[in-house]
Amino acid sequence: MADKLTRILYVEDEPDIQTVARLALEALGGFTVEICSSGGEALQRAPDFQPQLILLDVMMPGMDGPTMLGKLREFPRFASTPVVFMTAKVQSSEVAGYLEIGAVDVIPKPFDPMTLSSQVQNIWERCHD
Amino acid sequence: MTDPIDMQAKLKVLSDAYAAQLPEKIRQIEQAWELLPRDTWDEENFATLHRMVHSLTGSGKTFGFALLTDVARNLEEYLKSLALEKIALNEQQHNKLQVLMRELHQVTLHCNSVADDNPQLVVPASGEAASPKRIFVVEGNHEQAEELKVQLSYFGYDVGAFNNLADFRLAMQANPDVVVLMDVTLSGSSQEGIELMKEIQQGRDIPVPVFFLTARDELAIRLEAVRAGGIAYLSKPINIGNLIDKLDTLTSTLPSAPYRVLVVDDSESITSYCATVLEQTGMVVKVVNNPLDVMSPLLEFTPDLILLDIYMPGCNGLELAKVIRQLDAFISIPIVFLSAESDLDKQLFAMGLGADDFLTKPIQPQHMISAVTSRIQRSLVLRSFMVRDSLTGLLNHTAIKDQLDREVAQTKRRGMPLAFAMVDIDHFKHVNDTYGHPAGDRVIKSLSRLLKQRLRETDMVGRYGGEEFAVILSNTNGETAQKVLDAIRHDFSQLRHMADGKEFSATFSCGIADVSFFGDSTKLCDAADRVLYKAKHAGRNRVLLGDAPAVSGTDFV
Repeated sequence: MADKLTRILYVEDEPDIQTVARLALEALGGFTVEICSSGGEALQRAPDFQPQLILLDVMMPGMDGPTMLGKLREFPRFASTPVVFMTAKVQSSEVAGYLEIGAVDVIPKPFDPMTLSSQVQNIWERCHD
Repeated sequence: MTDPIDMQAKLKVLSDAYAAQLPEKIRQIEQAWELLPRDTWDEENFATLHRMVHSLTGSGKTFGFALLTDVARNLEEYLKSLALEKIALNEQQHNKLQVLMRELHQVTLHCNSVADDNPQLVVPASGEAASPKRIFVVEGNHEQAEELKVQLSYFGYDVGAFNNLADFRLAMQANPDVVVLMDVTLSGSSQEGIELMKEIQQGRDIPVPVFFLTARDELAIRLEAVRAGGIAYLSKPINIGNLIDKLDTLTSTLPSAPYRVLVVDDSESITSYCATVLEQTGMVVKVVNNPLDVMSPLLEFTPDLILLDIYMPGCNGLELAKVIRQLDAFISIPIVFLSAESDLDKQLFAMGLGADDFLTKPIQPQHMISAVTSRIQRSLVLRSFMVRDSLTGLLNHTAIKDQLDREVAQTKRRGMPLAFAMVDIDHFKHVNDTYGHPAGDRVIKSLSRLLKQRLRETDMVGRYGGEEFAVILSNTNGETAQKVLDAIRHDFSQLRHMADGKEFSATFSCGIADVSFFGDSTKLCDAADRVLYKAKHAGRNRVLLGDAPAVSGTDFV
């Protein structure tokens, strides 16, 4: 049986989405959420915050999601932390590409704030089947 | 943790804040657009513009503005296609961008008004139901199972056959979206298959669709089959044509869009309760708290069902139902009343005035969900009888013409391409006379099937007349449409049809017209018809594309 999911790191540059995602994940899901606005910031914070799961926007200025994932995997302690892409780019070829580079799943944007927590919880459980 | 209603209230605040920022965001997007040089390709500014639009695409619907996401996505797709070329925009591209930009501007004006007048966040449905195309066959007789598997795979279904029940149970856990074909008797005991399905259905919120296959037809077994989630009961030997028809209807009547419910009640706590319950099942809900304001949401939101309170100030629900029913477009919409009324006589009286069902307050969530869902499903099936051709399941003549009117108007406004094709089976009378009408019907069905399979979801296919079909190819120019249909023409001519042990093949002719030459749908339709006539005269079994009409107005086609 897997540990209970409590700590989520969310990397997203849009302030609006940050707010609604925090509300959805904290209020409805009861998770502890750390939000970073860029890939660089996330890489700095991750070692202290020790996330169990990372939600990652794909299209961000500076370092994009896939690049950030590559750098994250260079840390041994994050080599197998589940990473989920959150993106509006969800053509099937794109989704296949995300999974190829090691994402465990993709949550399409725009997401539904009422169900985001349960989506994340489901992914977490599936990772630990 | 927060309860859902409280969550709704918080989301509403966020939604308002988001709406309030929209004008500024649009202003920035328009500014970035103004800054783009007309004569060269400016990668950096273009990327900025793209990113700003992308962020609207990815956020609008989360805040309750689904239309904003749709329009922004259109614009983003177009920007993406331009970014592939990386050359200065030509006049046409520039104009098209201008149109898309204006649409975006328009829709944000609307977002604000929604947030201002209507204190309700419309939370999007969490996703469209995917059509199950996977089929699991559980059949005691190995040969029959393999035979079914082969036959179904010809029709594009992905089939798994099981003769080990443990494997089947496991596969059911891993694949929620399947259709099951279950042998009733299996290894021997008279209803083993039915018992097995009952057991599998127990742990599920949404029952798996099951077709039971049996050599015995008895009412008592049929009844048990229905109780185990059976939606069809087929006698052996299985008529494959019949089975495919049923599977096709099942996979196509599944809603491609979430159900839409309009809730009218003067009490805000009741409306937000209903909205929360229904939205959690994936429906889209719109709320009206003043009954006298119902008209414009009704026309704009076009609900599939209305939940209506009986006692409201200003106008009661019964009167309102009557008014709604007087509108042609809503003559058959299901209306379910919400009321504290438990007096049966009064309920029956309301039924006479056009109520479809009653929910008595306090409303049980599960009761509301099932009442609403079953009403909508039934009304959608009835509606599909009105717009669909009974033999092929394609849109009927009236429906495809209406669709063409809408599509032409929309593409003209957006400056997008569109092609319209008329398809007619060659020498069809000869097929009927030689091989009989049932064989003729099968040829018609196989062509309709091929057209549906080979065209995109966004293309529309209708049965125009006896052996004549109409196809609307959105966002496609005449040349591309010709290539697509010619490939279908080739494949159709290769299909072998059977009648009384004799094999034969059939061909079709096709005429295509491109919208850019024609001002309205009637002219477009006439033009395609003329080109079809030309294709027939040139020897049939061909796909022709119409030229631009002669300027003199004389057309010799």
